[in-house]
Amino acid sequence: MEKSNRLNAKDLINVGIYTAICAVICCAVAMTGVIPIMMVLLVVFVPILTGIPYMMFLTKVKKFGMILILNVLMGAFMWVTGMSYYALIVGTISGLAAELIYRSGNYSSKRLGIIAYAISGIYCWANYFGIFFNAEAYFSTRQNFGQEYIDSVTKMLPAWMCPVLLAVDIICGIIGGWIGTKALRKHFEKAGIA
Amino acid sequence: MEYRLDRNVHSLLDPRTKLLLLFTSSVFVIGTAGEAWMTVFYWILVYLPVLLLFVEKEWKAGLVAIAIYIGSCYAQMALRHDLSALGSALALMLFIITKILPTVILARYIVKTTKVSEFLTAMNRMHITDKLTIPVSVIFRFFPTVVEESGAINDAMRMRGIEMGAQKATEAVEYRMVPLIASCSIIGEELSAAAMTRGLDVDKKRSCIWRLRFGIPDLIIIILCLACFVWWGIGRFFV
Repeated sequence: MEKSNRLNAKDLINVGIYTAICAVICCAVAMTGVIPIMMVLLVVFVPILTGIPYMMFLTKVKKFGMILILNVLMGAFMWVTGMSYYALIVGTISGLAAELIYRSGNYSSKRLGIIAYAISGIYCWANYFGIFFNAEAYFSTRQNFGQEYIDSVTKMLPAWMCPVLLAVDIICGIIGGWIGTKALRKHFEKAGIA
Repeated sequence: MEYRLDRNVHSLLDPRTKLLLLFTSSVFVIGTAGEAWMTVFYWILVYLPVLLLFVEKEWKAGLVAIAIYIGSCYAQMALRHDLSALGSALALMLFIITKILPTVILARYIVKTTKVSEFLTAMNRMHITDKLTIPVSVIFRFFPTVVEESGAINDAMRMRGIEMGAQKATEAVEYRMVPLIASCSIIGEELSAAAMTRGLDVDKKRSCIWRLRFGIPDLIIIILCLACFVWWGIGRFFV
């Protein structure tokens, strides 16, 4: 089959499908944010759980731009569902970085795929920017939850947690990517889907 | 019998207007920009989606939405003071419901009433690249499918005795995620085959049999959205 570098409908549909899967998983996890501790642990669970679909997605990526589009759409999704527009900005940049990383391995290296996943996943971390940089405005819309909730979230997220969360996000991304690769090998390659 | 295609049969609003409305709603209802200054517009934006549902004769969905909304609003007011940990979590849940429900209803209205080809044509006229519009339309089509599939898989796994929150958490996740992805990727193949036959891959300009035009309802909604932003700007920078 002739290989062209332009994205065709099939690639774009794949992007759409995997974005939808990741978005559903994100939603399901984010719903648990009502418990204060889970609010912080989002950065752990989202990268680990979206690992399997994302690694599956990477096996379909053979052309420039697919990872970027997925990240832009995820960022836009976060924005529309009321997280913050930071996710869109960070998602775009990290998507481009991930794209370049995965491209340097000719879109086939598993190891680079894991790293690309970890990098692209940091839009999840960008959701916390609102708490760090603009805490008063953030909580002014959430007075109704009771002071207890606000206190417990603020206590868990002092300013120095910002870089820590980034590190946690990337590490969990690597773990998630690794789990995803394993699951891929165990289930999909044998079945001939991947 | 002669078959005539009525090219003017489509929903009240143009896809472009719907997207503008969705954007406005997500800024002012979910984002609560402007707070007290925007109260009047806030309430308009909250009840507009229900009105739109009524226009499309979706009486049941509209009434259920209003009932849930008003119910959780009042429950929230009752819960306002001296909360325990449980009460706080409940209040948060109700808060999220009141915050996102209007926009969710609007999104549902848009997905239900917009045909994919209509959407693609409208986006094409705004000169937005295919590379974004095709994935977005697939997401709209796919979101309910993913939820549906995962519900079915959840049932199947419960039957096998693999419960969420059991001892083997990794197993519980793996046994759900893997079938979900497998079935979604198969549906995806079918979808791309369907797209091929519709000529999505051809480089030529695609035509659309639906007549897309801005009408008077569009005008009203657009003016409303612009008024929201202008009023917000006035409150932000001049008062």
